[in-house]
Amino acid sequence: MSAVRITGGKVLDPANGEVGVERDIFIRDGRIVASDAGDGATETIDARGGIVMAGAIDIHTHIAGGKSNIARLLMVEEQRAIREPSGPFCACGGGLSTMTAHATGCRYVEMGYTAAFEPAVVGANARHMHYEMGDIPFLDTGGYLVLGNDDFLLDLIASGAGQQAVNDYVAWMLAATKCMAIKIVNPGGINAFKFNARKLDLDEANPHYEITPRKILTTLIRAVTELGLTHPIHLHGCNLGVPGNEQTTLDTIAATEGLPLHMTHVQFHSYGTEGDRKFSSGAVKIAEAVNKNPNISVDVGQIMFGQTVTASADLMSQHRNRGIATPKRWIGMDIEMDAACGIVPFEYKDKSFVNALQWAIGLELFLLVEDPWRIFLTTDHPNGAPFTTYPHLLRLLMDKPFRDEQFAKLPKSARKHSILNELTREYTLEEIAIVTRAAPAKILGLTDRGHLGAGAAGDVVIYRDDPDREAMFSKAEYVLKDGKVVVKDGEIVEVVYGRTHSVAPDYDKSMDAKLDRWFDEAIGFKAKTFKLQDHEIRDGQGTVVHATKRSA
Amino acid sequence: MTDVAGGGITHHDVVCPFCGLGCDDVSLRVQGNAVEAGEGACGRAAALFRRSADPVPSARVMGREVSLDEALAAAAELVAAARSPVYGGLGTDVDGVRALIKLACKTGGSVDHYASAGLFRNISTSQRKGWIATTLAEVRNHCDLLVVIGPDPSRDFHRLYDRITPPTGRFIKGKRKVVFLGGAPSEEARSQLDGVEIETIPVAEGELLDALSRLQGLISGAPEVPGGPDLAAFAAGLKGAHYGVLAWSAGMLGGDGDLIVERASIIVDILNVDTRAACLPLAGRDNLIGANQAFLWNIGFPLRTAFRGGKADHDQLLNSTEEALKSGDLLIWTSAFRPEQPPAFEGQVVAFAHPDTSFEREPEVFVPVGQPGLDHRGLAFRTDTVVSIPLGGYRDAGLPSIATVAKGLRERLS
Repeated sequence: MSAVRITGGKVLDPANGEVGVERDIFIRDGRIVASDAGDGATETIDARGGIVMAGAIDIHTHIAGGKSNIARLLMVEEQRAIREPSGPFCACGGGLSTMTAHATGCRYVEMGYTAAFEPAVVGANARHMHYEMGDIPFLDTGGYLVLGNDDFLLDLIASGAGQQAVNDYVAWMLAATKCMAIKIVNPGGINAFKFNARKLDLDEANPHYEITPRKILTTLIRAVTELGLTHPIHLHGCNLGVPGNEQTTLDTIAATEGLPLHMTHVQFHSYGTEGDRKFSSGAVKIAEAVNKNPNISVDVGQIMFGQTVTASADLMSQHRNRGIATPKRWIGMDIEMDAACGIVPFEYKDKSFVNALQWAIGLELFLLVEDPWRIFLTTDHPNGAPFTTYPHLLRLLMDKPFRDEQFAKLPKSARKHSILNELTREYTLEEIAIVTRAAPAKILGLTDRGHLGAGAAGDVVIYRDDPDREAMFSKAEYVLKDGKVVVKDGEIVEVVYGRTHSVAPDYDKSMDAKLDRWFDEAIGFKAKTFKLQDHEIRDGQGTVVHATKRSA
Repeated sequence: MTDVAGGGITHHDVVCPFCGLGCDDVSLRVQGNAVEAGEGACGRAAALFRRSADPVPSARVMGREVSLDEALAAAAELVAAARSPVYGGLGTDVDGVRALIKLACKTGGSVDHYASAGLFRNISTSQRKGWIATTLAEVRNHCDLLVVIGPDPSRDFHRLYDRITPPTGRFIKGKRKVVFLGGAPSEEARSQLDGVEIETIPVAEGELLDALSRLQGLISGAPEVPGGPDLAAFAAGLKGAHYGVLAWSAGMLGGDGDLIVERASIIVDILNVDTRAACLPLAGRDNLIGANQAFLWNIGFPLRTAFRGGKADHDQLLNSTEEALKSGDLLIWTSAFRPEQPPAFEGQVVAFAHPDTSFEREPEVFVPVGQPGLDHRGLAFRTDTVVSIPLGGYRDAGLPSIATVAKGLRERLS
């Protein structure tokens, strides 16, 4: 038995209504308990003067899979320049926008993150994704399965097979790939690019299947609602990065008709066409729509200035963007009747009008969306910036004078198009605990994470209460993972591994025969080869399966 | 699925790990140690799966039979004393590669896969300029015009056309066409391509690069440069195809293979402005791709990476096995899929290898290991880099996996 007592810290646990309450936290055998075991075997951590929070959770970060490996291959200079510091723990990885599995876990946990979710698992690549996630230390993980461009689904919808068949297929795919939620990337658009379409608006028909993104989106929203998944559809919408896409985003919100939808990296979907450069901020309109529609949640996908690499399943958009690749190289792939990927290195420059305005649009969204339970802290790692910029982003949100100082450095042309310096809001520590802990756990259905109540996982972080919030959130004083101290004074002291989370709603077993035939005929290998088995997850540990309404 | 009959067990739908196509319809009959592949296996796979009923050989140190424990202790002594270890072969599943990475991190030394030459021709282009690639099922369903550049890859990828170019494809209107540019299909390939339109465009030896340069010119609309063969109609066909695919096996291309790959990827790039096209770069025997993928996610670099003083660095020329052996003093040879002989080397050799491996010179330490996909479960990657295939375990001949052996060796090093 192991027991830890964290004493004297100010506990910030919005999920349980505690805001800066000074009390002790007890952890026994990896879980938070109500009181001390009282057997003297307890390790005591003095947290006086510190802030105690649950481990942070990133709901959208590209940390694994084929596209990450392509990014590493393309960004070999970055891999050479940034190697993991040498020390007792491995030190063989590296990278920043292209971090290796080991470096990913280390950099996250030093900041107090103990869970991170990969938002773009292409079915054909799911096995790779799981093996790679298993090599990321410290973090609990899980993946969102990309659907909405897969030929089997589009064929089901186009042939009028009905909602029930779609639901069964979605459930079959979740079980086969051991994923946590459903992601849609440019619904129907990636598929349309395979038939040589170059753009696809919400109400434009796919050239082969003659169904619209709206139809795909609403069908899949219904499917996850009826299957009872906690996480709503995680949507990367149509027209990413296209000036004027604010209208598509507003139309998409309207299309949900009140059913839950999570819109990811919404910054990239909040662009207007005003001004002499025909590029402007749509943040006010988008935030207003989010505020009015309680069924909508968003994560921002904040950009930060510097070199990064953009990795997306949206090959249609990435092909459009190939000309702006810096350095001048990019890789695209059509993938296995499933989806695609496009990897384009990119440097966001503060002197660029467009990039400066993107930066401001992201912050405007953060400050204008009122409900902290429906907005999440992301940079769409590595697409907007590496996740290591989170502490800087937190300071921008919490410290208006600091934010104004940064804003003042931008080109005048960009400042003229932003209302950022008129926004006086500063995020409170409580709000930060919501957007990085409580709300992510809630929207993912992780009932034992993101809070410090009895029964919660022993993922606990102690921060020094530093008025420089960037310094405070860069290195935690202590991080405990499942009750074990893994970070002390910002340094890793022990390496441990987390678990993988999934859902497995039940489906009508007649779907098995249909998919057997589909795999034999169309894909050219067997459905049973495609399906992941429990013994393949984390050396035989299997996944942590979360309940859904239609459970097996 | 298994059948029990006549004292043996027949396993169906076995996944084949050898060439990188990942066929999963092989049947294996296992009786004791004896294995015979049946239906589904191509000739090469059948030969590689075949095992006799004889007991497996024991481990050896200097030719003397020893226990696994003694062999690992002897290997640990050699590794500890080595100045410059060279990890070669790397024919193992992903877990084996993971274990070898950890071992090499600890001991230092360079790491390469024995069949990586073609892969690095592809990486030279993909890393420097990039490309648009595709996967097997996309070709199968979308590709109306497949262009095979250079020698017919089906020599190494036996069932290639069965898998990717059946006569009909879901989205193909009319007949599928395969053009062999600078190569010719084998008889076996022709029979797989029954029902598909085949054209061969002969190219004089050493002029493939020139032919591709002229093709590039034609596709970008430049006036035709004189020279044989006439490519105008072929270029027009590519531009008119809905989803043209340029395929090659880089390991089979000659000395200017890097440039041929680069040229092909540029052609695909230009085609994608108006229509759709993609590359299908074939490489991947004995989980080469899986080894490279595991390197990228764990280390950040592709294969041909060396660990020195706790740091990793990649150099595709200096860290090839061939180059590394020039200054290395110990070769740690790992080859579990087939009895591949280690390269000639005057220094000491530790071999964790297929039990049937014949050595030109007895290695200092030999540990026979099990084959992923026969003796134990494992993970391998397909040639298209996206799909990875789960390998099964079908017999227990008492052979340890490379992962187990590499871990055991690492634990013996202080």
